[in-house]
Amino acid sequence: MNKLCKKLLKLLGVLFLANAALFVVFFFDLDGKLMFNVVEPFLKKHYDNMERRDVLKTPYEVDKFPKYKY
Amino acid sequence: MAKKNLGKALKDFWYGKPHTAEEGGRRLGELYEDKTGLLKHREWRGVKDTFYYMYMIWGYNYLHMVTDILKFSNNPIDFVKGTWRYRWMGQTYLPVIHWFERGLQGMRGEALYASAWHYRAMVSASIHQICTFFNADTRLHGGKENDAYRHTIYVNETTCGTLFYPWKDAGYQYVSMEMIPYFVTCHVNSHTVLNYIDAVQSLGLPGDPCPMCQAESGLFVLDDVPDASPFVITCNEACDASVSTHTLQDWFADKPLFALPIPMQFDDPLVKKYCMNEIEECWKFVEEQTGTKFSWESMVKYLERQNKLQRDEWEKWEVASKTDYYPINGVAQALFRIYSTQYGIQGDFWEEASEKVKKIMYRCVEKKINPFPKTRHRVIAWSCAPLYFSNWCTWAYNCWGLNTIINMDSLMFDMEIRTDSYEHMLEDMATYHMWAPMRRMAVGGMHHIFELWDYMERFNCDMVAMYDQLQCKGMQGVHGLFEDEFRKRNIKAFWIPHALPDCRTVSRAEIRRQINDYMTTVMHEEPLDPSLLDFDDSMTW
Repeated sequence: MNKLCKKLLKLLGVLFLANAALFVVFFFDLDGKLMFNVVEPFLKKHYDNMERRDVLKTPYEVDKFPKYKY
Repeated sequence: MAKKNLGKALKDFWYGKPHTAEEGGRRLGELYEDKTGLLKHREWRGVKDTFYYMYMIWGYNYLHMVTDILKFSNNPIDFVKGTWRYRWMGQTYLPVIHWFERGLQGMRGEALYASAWHYRAMVSASIHQICTFFNADTRLHGGKENDAYRHTIYVNETTCGTLFYPWKDAGYQYVSMEMIPYFVTCHVNSHTVLNYIDAVQSLGLPGDPCPMCQAESGLFVLDDVPDASPFVITCNEACDASVSTHTLQDWFADKPLFALPIPMQFDDPLVKKYCMNEIEECWKFVEEQTGTKFSWESMVKYLERQNKLQRDEWEKWEVASKTDYYPINGVAQALFRIYSTQYGIQGDFWEEASEKVKKIMYRCVEKKINPFPKTRHRVIAWSCAPLYFSNWCTWAYNCWGLNTIINMDSLMFDMEIRTDSYEHMLEDMATYHMWAPMRRMAVGGMHHIFELWDYMERFNCDMVAMYDQLQCKGMQGVHGLFEDEFRKRNIKAFWIPHALPDCRTVSRAEIRRQINDYMTTVMHEEPLDPSLLDFDDSMTW
């Protein structure tokens, strides 16, 4: 019984701490700050430097497909 | 004195600070960091609402974003690959919770609970579309055209999902090429779209047409549209600039393409007949491309669900128009409606949210809860809204007590589609298609833009927020007519100039300044929360 109580208390303690940590992230907008200051600039750099197909080199063949008139 | 202060502090802790300056208010403007619009800390809304927000909005939505991906994606790894491949995905959708924050700021009680369900449905619908892209995209599957690719119907964003219900039960997914990469991104993170606008101008194309058309073309110029379907259906998106967009899309997509235009003068019965024929031709095109026949049973099944959603909306409008108990704020109302009517019944998300909102709404009615108790003016917003500042209505309520009850975007598809016979369905479907966003009441002719007066009366509004899309040539042409009518009818109205997705043309601060000027110089009113009058959020999402 004692052991069970201890385990239960431990679990409650962990849950409380997890919730407190979550509350700090939530209340101080730490997720927003991480996205804005770290994640977005990192991803932007990646997208800016990405190699892309030059679509202007696609020939525009207007008669390639039928007119689809029914 | 100390006892009184302690009493107030305890009350503020329990219930949250009151709204107005006179009551020792919450001063929401002081929560922002300079320029970025990030929050020094989130608002303390009282014990109940702060923890509701934390668990049922912030935590719940983070969690459900993950479960939605697991639910809609054939392989969650594709989602990661897609995020790495597409700018509109990675740059936009990671900060989605901040979008909630901007729209829900200052909301308490039922207004907070109900409006958040609309946001929840939009996020779920967005993840559904994103997964449809990534399940099928050949770029994420080594160039392979898989089964999902062969079961995706690719369309332009103002070609409504309703048109493709006949193929839904056969496993075909409708997805719009631009709704997620362009339209929704602008609301969530207004930085992303600027890359696409600049890309199209870098080719030497002029910068003065509608920036929406520019951005949609720019997606193709930067090769940022997934290759997710063997064929494409486009339309003119209600304006001539978009016709040029589709010439570019035809070139760059390089796929079998069917053009399904939205007629300009949709009141003409002959035009309607022409439109009905075009819709039938489009269906034949889909049959030919997919090898799957039009299913009347599938059409009826989803139309019935859509009609039910429309009836639910009418029920809500009854409460919004006749009472003070409607719990949805202006931005949640507008975006939910334009998104749900355009995307259609592609999942359960709209219906689930609608049911939850109705429950909250009837609780307000029964218990006589006014979710917006500081309302000074009931506002109707007309014409097309600034996508980068669609949450202006939340700001306007918090700062001035301007409560946006209804807006043009919500009212466009104000109809049911009959399912008693094929002929009736086709006739109504043509009307629905012709009442497309930006066409029905924006560039759809004088009679329809002036439906404003009827809706103003129906929703019991005493003020108009008139959007002024500076690069829409159609609406610029009627600016003066509105000015004349406002004077003639003695209607209180203020203008909101903007350039749809492009926050560089008219900034959010400038929009706020224009409303502040109107409220002080014309209305001679004092702000409810003076801290919101002027702040710098120039770099915000």
